[in-house]
Amino acid sequence: MKPFQKTLAAALVSSAIFMVGCSSDDDAAATSAAAPETKSGPTHPVTGETLAADQTFTYWALDEHSSLDPQIMEDTAGSDHARQLFEGLLSQDADGNLVPGVAETFTANADKTVYTFNLRKDAKWSNGDPVTANDFVYAWKRAVNPETASPYSWYMEIMNIVNGAEIIAGEAEVDSLGVKAVDDYTLEVTLTESLPYFPMMVNHSTVFPVHPATVEKFGAEWTKPENMVSNGAYKLTQHVVNERVEMVRNDQYWNNDATIIEKIVTIVVPDENQGLIRWKAGEFDRGPVPSGQFKSLKEEFGEQAVSAPRLCNYYYTFNVSDSGPEAFKDVRVRKALSYALDRSVITENILQAGQENAYTFTPSKTAGFTMPNVAYANMTQEERVAEAKKLLAEAGYGEGNPLKFSILYNTSEGHKQIATAMSQMWKSSLGVEATLNNMEWKTFLTERGEQNFELARGAWCGDYNEASTFLDLLRSQSGYNDGKYVNTEVDRLMDEAKTSADPNVQYTAIEQILADEMPVIPVYFYTTNFMLHDDVKGWPYNNIEQNWYARDLYKVAK
Amino acid sequence: MFSFILKRLLTAIPTLLILIIVSFILMHSAPGGPFTSERALPPQVEANINAKYGLDKPLHEQIFVYVKSIVLHFDFGPSFRYKDRSVNDLISDGFPVTLTYGSISALVAVLFGVTMGVIAALNHNTWKDYTALGFTFTAQVLPNFVMAPLLVLLFTLQLGWLPGGGWEGGKAQYIIMPVIALSTSYMATIARITRSSMLEVLNSNFIRTAKAKGLPYQRIVFKHALKPALLPVLSYMGPAMVGLITGSVIIDMYFSTGGIGVLFVNGALNRDYSTIMGITILVGTLTVLLNLVVDVLYAWIDPKIRY
Repeated sequence: MKPFQKTLAAALVSSAIFMVGCSSDDDAAATSAAAPETKSGPTHPVTGETLAADQTFTYWALDEHSSLDPQIMEDTAGSDHARQLFEGLLSQDADGNLVPGVAETFTANADKTVYTFNLRKDAKWSNGDPVTANDFVYAWKRAVNPETASPYSWYMEIMNIVNGAEIIAGEAEVDSLGVKAVDDYTLEVTLTESLPYFPMMVNHSTVFPVHPATVEKFGAEWTKPENMVSNGAYKLTQHVVNERVEMVRNDQYWNNDATIIEKIVTIVVPDENQGLIRWKAGEFDRGPVPSGQFKSLKEEFGEQAVSAPRLCNYYYTFNVSDSGPEAFKDVRVRKALSYALDRSVITENILQAGQENAYTFTPSKTAGFTMPNVAYANMTQEERVAEAKKLLAEAGYGEGNPLKFSILYNTSEGHKQIATAMSQMWKSSLGVEATLNNMEWKTFLTERGEQNFELARGAWCGDYNEASTFLDLLRSQSGYNDGKYVNTEVDRLMDEAKTSADPNVQYTAIEQILADEMPVIPVYFYTTNFMLHDDVKGWPYNNIEQNWYARDLYKVAK
Repeated sequence: MFSFILKRLLTAIPTLLILIIVSFILMHSAPGGPFTSERALPPQVEANINAKYGLDKPLHEQIFVYVKSIVLHFDFGPSFRYKDRSVNDLISDGFPVTLTYGSISALVAVLFGVTMGVIAALNHNTWKDYTALGFTFTAQVLPNFVMAPLLVLLFTLQLGWLPGGGWEGGKAQYIIMPVIALSTSYMATIARITRSSMLEVLNSNFIRTAKAKGLPYQRIVFKHALKPALLPVLSYMGPAMVGLITGSVIIDMYFSTGGIGVLFVNGALNRDYSTIMGITILVGTLTVLLNLVVDVLYAWIDPKIRY
């Protein structure tokens, strides 16, 4: 039988060469994922609801975060983690209002250029060390240090901290940053000029503290579970790239007694439909709503299909730079295209998930922002189309000379549907011939950034809940102003808003200018859509930034 | 034989070097870069980042520094996307996962594929043959990106037998669906190759001689017919093994297994230069090695082939 064995062996070897490293399946049966326990546990201290015995919150993530280092991270997946692992000077409640974080109180001087934060004395790192003002000073200097090369260092620049911009540019010493620890529990920040929304900005992950000794000791590897020291309500226990992140409650956290969720598990599934199936199977507490499915999910799952307003806008920007088409330099053409767009078709027939029609650049739900009374928002669609026809005819376009241009968007089924609808609306109401053009994300960003487009898609989510996070994008010098819209009046008003007692006056004035000049076509304001099982309570539906903190969540017994 | 292997390994070095240079140039000529983001970075911040990752140097210098650190320190550099991780880290985490389900899938594909092919050939034009053929056709019109969601719908949502994804260090219940999804179409191809080559061998002269000699049928099949019939399967398996390992992006996506497949595709989309390069080199090396193994096995199975 020897030759036969050899033959069989050959067949097997060709496939089994790489059998090394095959893991054993210990405890195979013990860990079927997230089987819901229904034993009743203790009750909620405030509401008195019976809590579930298993307080593990498992949620779906589309993408792996880029980093867990607060000064390096740049995506929402990362900041979702950061808010559990770290705590900044201030934090947010379920409605998005600022509440004390590590700082119990803060004061500002008369012209609001010096802020003093008084830190709580019981805040501790997960290794038991106290959280001191020096840890914040260290972290903030780290964020602006050119050696750190933080992709969010621009955020430090717009915080107006003394010498921030100079240090990033390499023109000043890192130690000259306008932030100092008066003593262990007093942090003083000096600004170049007052910034009405400065307190709101200290809730961002870029300005979260880090544990200096840990960062110094482990370098880039300090965020690995075995090394990481953090000061939030949770600490990292496991991280497998592109698979999962696990955290458990941090028993050193100053308010640990109020925490109910014991463990947070993040599972990365880069496919929304697959994520939804696994939510339906009960593997996730929070899952995705794939594009276009909200309505049917709402019918099937009721309140478990969630739609809440989100601080993001969706728009199209005209290229008004020299490389853009001549037609778009004519304000009548820009207005005509914006007017002729029936936004309700997009929000009600395509998106179907509670999105709001946009006639301004700043989302209507932005804190402190009152929607200005822009004229075209109040017209009926028939009036808008009539006005659009008139404007376009005045600009010299019509049947004999139809307006032609191309629409650029990044490849995605959702964007395609919207772009298609837009081009059809323009075709039927104005006789405009718009061609669609899509590109993969990074190519799209490059082309748009270099003004190689005519009309391009854009979207922005606020970094903080204040209108300037949006309107800043349309300043002449903004790095995001891809359409190269230049209006010195807008720039002047934005500068004025910084010291204004009520910046809303300036913001409203800017929105009026935008409605008159239409450098961008606002399309809609986002909603955040997700599936959440009804045993999860405490979700901050009203936090328009959708900043959620697992320390405020709890699961009730089913 | 030894000098043949040595020669092949030596020619692998310039091959890989050319692969590195070509990939490097192609990668850098794609629009955008690892740090292209929605808000264009202020110029000085961008300069800081480029300096940190050595992107400010001319391309030929970057290639030189890259190859040097691999040769001297076996260091594939820091990932541009997963900023807390080195490429060495990412690959040593992800590759064992891919390797595990990839090699189990290969094993399953070969075992079932060959068995099915042999049965079909021995029962040529009977219901057994037609069943096997039917299976192979069905399996080939169900690529893994269709199989994967269907399996999850069935086993996770309907029956609740298996978790819908994850890896958990490679526990059995997490491996089953990836292996089914990945191995089925390979199994079908192997079954078809085995069947047709077995039919051909069974009709050849030496088998007729063996039959005439009055050898027991089983012995003819297993001792004389199977061995030559497996040669085409073997040549198919070399590239197929590489495909099983690198083509696993669908598996990683749908089952969140965290292998190198999804790392590779994300690397390309994110312009994560160092990760793309690391995996390209890994796959290139694997291809060279597996082709060598196949050639050696050829000589072992077929005495007519000598190097």
